[in-house]
Amino acid sequence: MPECSNIFDNIEKISKDLREGNILGSTEAALTIMNECRKASKICEPRKYVKYLLRAIPQFLSARPTSLIMKNFIREYLTRFTETINESGIKEATKSTPALIDFIQSKVNEIKNAVALAGSKRVVDGATVLIHSYSTTLIKLLKIARDSGRDFQVYVTESRPIGEGMVTASQLSKLGIETTLIVDSAVRYVMKRITDVFFSADAVAANGAVVNKVGTSAIALAAKEARVRTYVVAGTYKFGLETVFGELVEGVVLSKASLIIPDQELNSLAGRVLVRAPIFDVTPPEYIDAIITELGLIAPQAVPLVIKEIFGWPPKVINIEDLLKEVSKSAA
Amino acid sequence: MPLNYRGYAIPDKVVEIREGIRTMKIRGAGKIARAGALALAEAAKTYRGSDLKNFLKYIEIVAEYVRSARPTAVSLPNAVAYVMNRLRRAKFSSVQEGIEVVNELADEFVEYSLNAVKIIGDLGAKRLVNGDVVMTHCHSTAAVSVIATAHKMGKVNIAYVKETRPKMQGLITAKALADAGLDVILVPDSSVRYFMKKVTKVVVGADTISANGAVINKVGTSMVTLAAKEARVRTYVAAETYKFSPRTVIGELVPIEVREPTEIVSEKWLKENPGVKVYNPVFDVTPPEYIDAIITEKGVIPPQAAILILLEEYGIKISDILSGELGGVLKDEELRE
Repeated sequence: MPECSNIFDNIEKISKDLREGNILGSTEAALTIMNECRKASKICEPRKYVKYLLRAIPQFLSARPTSLIMKNFIREYLTRFTETINESGIKEATKSTPALIDFIQSKVNEIKNAVALAGSKRVVDGATVLIHSYSTTLIKLLKIARDSGRDFQVYVTESRPIGEGMVTASQLSKLGIETTLIVDSAVRYVMKRITDVFFSADAVAANGAVVNKVGTSAIALAAKEARVRTYVVAGTYKFGLETVFGELVEGVVLSKASLIIPDQELNSLAGRVLVRAPIFDVTPPEYIDAIITELGLIAPQAVPLVIKEIFGWPPKVINIEDLLKEVSKSAA
Repeated sequence: MPLNYRGYAIPDKVVEIREGIRTMKIRGAGKIARAGALALAEAAKTYRGSDLKNFLKYIEIVAEYVRSARPTAVSLPNAVAYVMNRLRRAKFSSVQEGIEVVNELADEFVEYSLNAVKIIGDLGAKRLVNGDVVMTHCHSTAAVSVIATAHKMGKVNIAYVKETRPKMQGLITAKALADAGLDVILVPDSSVRYFMKKVTKVVVGADTISANGAVINKVGTSMVTLAAKEARVRTYVAAETYKFSPRTVIGELVPIEVREPTEIVSEKWLKENPGVKVYNPVFDVTPPEYIDAIITEKGVIPPQAAILILLEEYGIKISDILSGELGGVLKDEELRE
C-alpha cells in the first residue's frame, strides 16, 4: 500500500515528465495528473489531500502551460470540489473525489470518441494522410477510418525533438495501416503526395490559432503552399478561455544539449554551441481548413462562437489560483 | 597495353583518374571537377605526334571518355567543358603549343576552383548587414565561408544552425561556425518556422543547380526557404558555378537518391516494426522564386540567370551535353567533400 508521502514525492517526477515531453499528448497529460489526484485522495488524510492539491497543481500547470485540457479539467474538478466542501465538508469532498474524477474522465473520453468519429469521415478511400507527433485521438480517428473499410495510407514525421512520431508509426502499423516514417525535414518534399494533413492540439486560442508540437506550423505552411487540406482535431475542452481576455499561451523551450547532439559528439560541442529546442509552436488560423470538435467541424475563426455557445459570452473563467485559494480557505 | 577508346590509346594515368571518379574514390563536387580537368592535362602530356588536327581529335575523345565516368556528377562535365571550350577558341600552331595550352587551362581551372569558396565568402558577406541573424541548413563550405567572412567583418554574430536529420550535418556546421567565433544556436529541423521570426537572412549551400535556377540541396532546404519567404526573410544560396547542371538544359530532371532506412531508425527498431516503411530522400528541390540570389564566384546572380552561367561561363553547347551519357540518380557521395 503506497503511502501518502510517496504521492507527494511523485510530484517532481510527473512535472519533469510533463516538462520534457515524456508525457506528450495533452489529453494524456491531463489524464495522468487526474489519476495522481485520484490516488492521493484515496490514500491521504483529507487535510493532507488539500495540501497535496495546493502544492501539486501549480507545479503541474507550470510544467505544461500549453495543455489547456489540463487547465480546464483542473478548473472543473476544483470548482466541484469546493462546492462539495461547502455543502458537506472536506471529508466528504475528498471521499467523493475518485467518483468526480471518473465522471470528468469519462466525459473527456466521450468527447474524444466523438471527435475521432467526426474526423474519421474526412479520411476517404485513396487518401494519403500526413500526421505529426503522437496523439491518441488521431490514432483512434485513423483506426475508425480503417475499421470502416477505407483504404488509405499514412505518412508520419519523426517529430523531433523527442521523436514520438516513431511511437505513432509503430502503433499505426500494428493496426494494419500502411505507414511511412519520414524525417521532419522531408515534409515539403512529400507534401505533393499528401491529400490531407491531420494535427492534434494542445490548445486552441480564441482567434483559432493552434498550439501543438513544434513542427506543426511548418507542416501547415507546406500544406497551404501545396493546397493540401489541414485539419486539427480538438475537443472544445482544449479551447483557451483565458485567451479571450488576451492571455498568451506560454510555450516551453528546452535547452538540454543531449536533445539534439548525440552522445559521442557531446564533448566536442557542448558548451560551445547553445541548444534551443522548443516543444510547441503556434499555427495561425489561416493555415487551418477546419477544427474538428465534438460539436462538428468548425472554421478556426468560429472558435469564439463555440466558446459563446458553451460558456456564454464573455465566457465566465474562474482563475485556478483563486480556486486554490478558496479550497485552502474552505479546508481551514 | 593501354586502353583503346574509339581508336585512341588512353594513357594509364587518365584511366586511373576516370576509374577513381567512377568508383567514387574521388568524391565531392570540387574534387571530381579538378580531377577531370587534370586528366585532360595528363592526356595532353603523353601525346606523341605532330599532327595538330589529330591531337585535337584525341583530346576531344579523351574529354568524352573522362566525362562519361559519372553521368550524375554535375561538376565533371563542367570542368571538362571549361578546358575544352577555351582550347577550341585558343590559337596555336603546333602540338607542343597545344599541350601547353591544355596544361595551362587545367591548372587555371584547378586554381580557380580552389579560390571559388573564398571569393564566394567575400561576395556573399557583402550581402549581409550589421546585426544580421543568419539561419543555415546542412553543411556547405561555401555557406560557412559567407557567414564566417561576414562575422570577421563584424556584421553577423548569431547563427541558427539546423540539426539536419538524419545524418546531422548541422553539427559539422555548428563546429565550423563556433570555430569562426560565432554564437551558434543549434535547433531541431522541426523548429524552422518557430525560429524564422528571429532570423534576418537564410544562407544555404547547393548540391546542384538546374538550368531554371531551382536549387537541389539537402532535404529540408525547401522547407527553410518556404518559411523564410513567408516571413520575408531573404534567402541566399552559396554555390560554385561548376555545380550548375548542364543536363537540365536539355530538359533532364534531376532524380533524387533515396537512402537506407537505418540512417533514420535503428536495425532493431526496423525489426520490431516490420509494418513501417521508412522513406529517406536525400535532397529536395527549392523553386527559384524562393531564392533571392545565388552567390557564385562569378558574381551574385538571380536564380533565373543560371542558364547564363552554363552557356556563357562554361560555353556549354547542347550538343556537348547530348554527347555525354545521361541518366542516373543524383547521389550524396559525389557531392560531399
